[in-house]
Amino acid sequence: MMKNSNKEQQNMNKWFRSGSPWIWLSAGGVSISLISVLGLLWLIASKGLSYFWPADIYEFKSINDKGIHGTVIGEIYDREFIPASQLAHTAVKLPPGQETVERLLVKTGNRELVSLDFRWLLVPEIQTTTKPEEVVVIERRTNGNFYGYIESVILEGKEVDITRLPELLERVDNFQEEIDSLQKTHIGAINYKIERTRLKERKYKLDNELTEDLAKELNGEVAALEAEYKVLEAELMGLREEIARDQLVVRAMDGQTVTINFEHILKITYNNKLNFFDKFLTFLEQISAFLVDDPREANTEGGVFPAIFGTVLMVLLMTVIVSPFGVIAAIYLHEYAGKNALTKLLRIAVINLAGVPSIVYGVFGLGFFVYMVGGSLDQLFYPETLPSPTFGTPGVMWSAITLAILTLPVVIVSTEEGLARIPSAMRHGSLALGATKAETLWRIILPIASPAIMTGIILAIARAAGEVAPLMLVGVVKMAPNLPLDGNFPFLHLDRKFMHLGFHIYDVGFQSPNVEAARPLVYATALLLVTIIVALNMTAVSVRNRLREKYRMLEH
Amino acid sequence: MDSLNISRHISGQFNEDLERIINLVMQMGGLVEKQLNEALESVSQGDEDLAKKVLSNDYQVNNLEVVIDDECTRVIAKRQPAAGDLRLVMAIIKTIADLERIGDEATKIAKVTLESLTSKHKELLLNLDNLGRRVLECLQLTLDAFTRMDVDAAFKIHQIDEKIDREYEALMRQLMTYMMEDPRSIPQVMSVIWSARALERIGDRCQNICEYIIYFVKGKVVRHTSVEDMKKI
Amino acid sequence: MISVTPKAVIDSPNKIDLANLSPEQVALEIKNLNLYYGEKQALQNISMAIPKGQVTAFIGPSGCGKSTLLRCINRMNDLVDICKITGEINLHGENIYGRHVDVAELRRAVGMVFQRPNPFPKSIYENVVYGLRIKGENNRRVLDEAVEQALKSAALWNEVKDRLHDSALGLSGGQQQRLVIARAIAIQPEVLLLDEPTSALDPISTLTIEELINDLKQQFTVVIVTHNMQQAARVSDQTAFMYMGDLIEYSDTNTLFTTPSKKKTEDYITGRYG
Repeated sequence: MMKNSNKEQQNMNKWFRSGSPWIWLSAGGVSISLISVLGLLWLIASKGLSYFWPADIYEFKSINDKGIHGTVIGEIYDREFIPASQLAHTAVKLPPGQETVERLLVKTGNRELVSLDFRWLLVPEIQTTTKPEEVVVIERRTNGNFYGYIESVILEGKEVDITRLPELLERVDNFQEEIDSLQKTHIGAINYKIERTRLKERKYKLDNELTEDLAKELNGEVAALEAEYKVLEAELMGLREEIARDQLVVRAMDGQTVTINFEHILKITYNNKLNFFDKFLTFLEQISAFLVDDPREANTEGGVFPAIFGTVLMVLLMTVIVSPFGVIAAIYLHEYAGKNALTKLLRIAVINLAGVPSIVYGVFGLGFFVYMVGGSLDQLFYPETLPSPTFGTPGVMWSAITLAILTLPVVIVSTEEGLARIPSAMRHGSLALGATKAETLWRIILPIASPAIMTGIILAIARAAGEVAPLMLVGVVKMAPNLPLDGNFPFLHLDRKFMHLGFHIYDVGFQSPNVEAARPLVYATALLLVTIIVALNMTAVSVRNRLREKYRMLEH
Repeated sequence: MDSLNISRHISGQFNEDLERIINLVMQMGGLVEKQLNEALESVSQGDEDLAKKVLSNDYQVNNLEVVIDDECTRVIAKRQPAAGDLRLVMAIIKTIADLERIGDEATKIAKVTLESLTSKHKELLLNLDNLGRRVLECLQLTLDAFTRMDVDAAFKIHQIDEKIDREYEALMRQLMTYMMEDPRSIPQVMSVIWSARALERIGDRCQNICEYIIYFVKGKVVRHTSVEDMKKI
Repeated sequence: MISVTPKAVIDSPNKIDLANLSPEQVALEIKNLNLYYGEKQALQNISMAIPKGQVTAFIGPSGCGKSTLLRCINRMNDLVDICKITGEINLHGENIYGRHVDVAELRRAVGMVFQRPNPFPKSIYENVVYGLRIKGENNRRVLDEAVEQALKSAALWNEVKDRLHDSALGLSGGQQQRLVIARAIAIQPEVLLLDEPTSALDPISTLTIEELINDLKQQFTVVIVTHNMQQAARVSDQTAFMYMGDLIEYSDTNTLFTTPSKKKTEDYITGRYG
């Protein structure tokens, strides 16, 4: 016995000394990180993507404790078990001994008819559950979804056969497109021009250069633009009127009939009639709509295109700003600054900058860039618009600059590391051929260091794309009327505020009036944000790998 | 041996190689000296057995030459000797060639013993004996100088050779007179002349060896230079 | 009587008298050069004349200052902050440490090849034309011609002519070193400094480079630092032996390797304890 345990002890010691425990330990660490990443992705992907999957629509007939019959049409949103004791105050009759009761959360839509578009149904109260094929889901511009049965279709005031529904929808789509282009492109452009002309006039006035001729000329311009505007407006009104003559009469779950103008209808689907393939197509359609549409209903519905655009644009702007500054700073620190205590101090300061909480950068950006720099810029270059600020207010440029400062240390540190790794033989080789230090830097050192610079930029992008807190102070808004990039000169409007996916998540999830409805959207947006950051990173990583391959150093 | 600075190489192997070669050269020198001594002995004593022994021992000298040559080639291939080492190896290669020739000359002298000479002619051999003693002494000095790499000794030996040359000329004149007096004795006198000639050659070869010593130590080539020029070195 | 013949002198055709060089024969003249790394003196009062169109080798134990001396010639020591130099090195009778000397221009006149092949991570072609591009030459035809010329001079043309636009890092060590030499001679320097050019190469590549050095002296003055004494003996016309920052002996290679005049030299080249 003694011998045996001794032997075991020895084996154990041997095993410890062999180093395998450490391999297991490190493999365990890797596994845990991998599992958490995959778990995170799985959670947001499953919750987010299910939002786009066309759900079955059920019709529940129930009888409640007071004996009142009711009909509920909607999709099952959630189900949960609650302790029976919670229902003690109601008169629900439960079989004795049952301790929990299942209840369903049903999305019923039809916001104009009921105050809440969600309601709880206790399973014991449900008498029949059916999936009627004729139920339609009508996606609308306002008031959310409508669930019900189509009664009749009215085309230009006359009732027509229901089979013409797809044709009608297409017609409406075309009208809507026309209206959109009129509203956004043409009328928007005219408004912009009128605004600019007014500003020009004010500027002349401020500079005391406004002559009567000039004033007349400008007024003429404005008048011409306004006339144009009138024409377009009339056209728009005409279209609206035309579209308003098409209507859909639908019956809701409680038997009421509702007339919906086609103007408000986006899409009509018979969810219960769809087979798997149709559902999949609808799913893809929904996703693409989510990606390219503007948000509706206080961001709780519709797409997130402006937020995607804002996020990507801001990150790209940030990259454009941070890369040259970071690289130049790193080059100075590594190549030119004397190797003394001051440089060391500077380097430590740069590294410590990376540890400052991001909101502090937001405060700094707001105080320094927006108010001081932006305010001065306004006074110098845009006095005509004052007191309404141009650059003296949060905007996409200030956001980009603030984040650039936030990510500067990352770029500096990794660039410097890259510079330090370059064998001195490269430098000497170039110098010995009669190149100056600057030429050597430009032609040899920077290209070789480019993978390291790219690494810095990748880290900067990863950090900047996920940052929300400072942006709330320096440029992000819940709802931006215009994209920072449009067809009006100078096309890129750096002074405009913008939308951001990260902020969108926060806003939709916690600030919207209908938190329950917005929850899947939060996941979907989160998934999208992760995807975009991964895509940005992947692009940068592939660029870096190509550079690495090109400048692969021999083993020195 | 330390005066040659051989043992100060960083490579112990190199030291050993050089030491072995030098020892072999000493051994060869001793053998050649013994051969010459015995050849002269056989001549003066008329000892034919001794003369035969000299003849049969010559192969040892030849063997040693081949062995040393081989060793030197190996050292050059493996160690790439430079400066002093290179000069030493070169000097040794040349020295052993001369030593081998000296060995050959010794056998030539021994052969004279085997020729049947009348007692009258044996007197001639006495004169030869004198020259022989002087040459033997010269060879001994040379080997001695080689062992110590003694430049001064080498210079002196270089001059001894002049004396040998004069003695040789005197002997020649004497032998010429014999031949004129008695033409029948010409074949016998001729063999004596060959021996004298061999001795004179040995003196020259000693001189050569001395030149190699000087080349090794001073790094200067003194072959084919006049005595006056040599003294300047 | 021993026949006495006059001393027969058989010397190499480019044999020159180091002690009495005419000004046209001198490529570089080093005068009283002292070099200090901080407090430490690395070169002590070096004076020597490097003859034109010949190969001069610097040999000596590690840390003897031979590489440092070589780097003085194209002012690579300028890169070391704590390095201080007194004395002068004259190229065309002008001190390269003079006040108005353009270092970049000096380095174009005095090319350098380092211990390890250090081709730039560019194509073979771009490596060779690098110096010319720095000089401002961008004419495609001039560059093409220079590349061919330089690669031929460096005995590399036949091996790489079909892949001039491939990465230089794909070449073998010996080829890389010849490429680096081609790169250095593409700008037509007067002097070519080689800092242990074969110490990272295999013996066969080493021989190719040595052969190349022999060809190069037709056009350039070559100064080579080497650890390998046999190499110095093989490739050089003049050899300087340095020890602890001193120039101990400087003479033609044949003399130095057969009959050195200084004991330190003798001990070093025969491999004896110092």
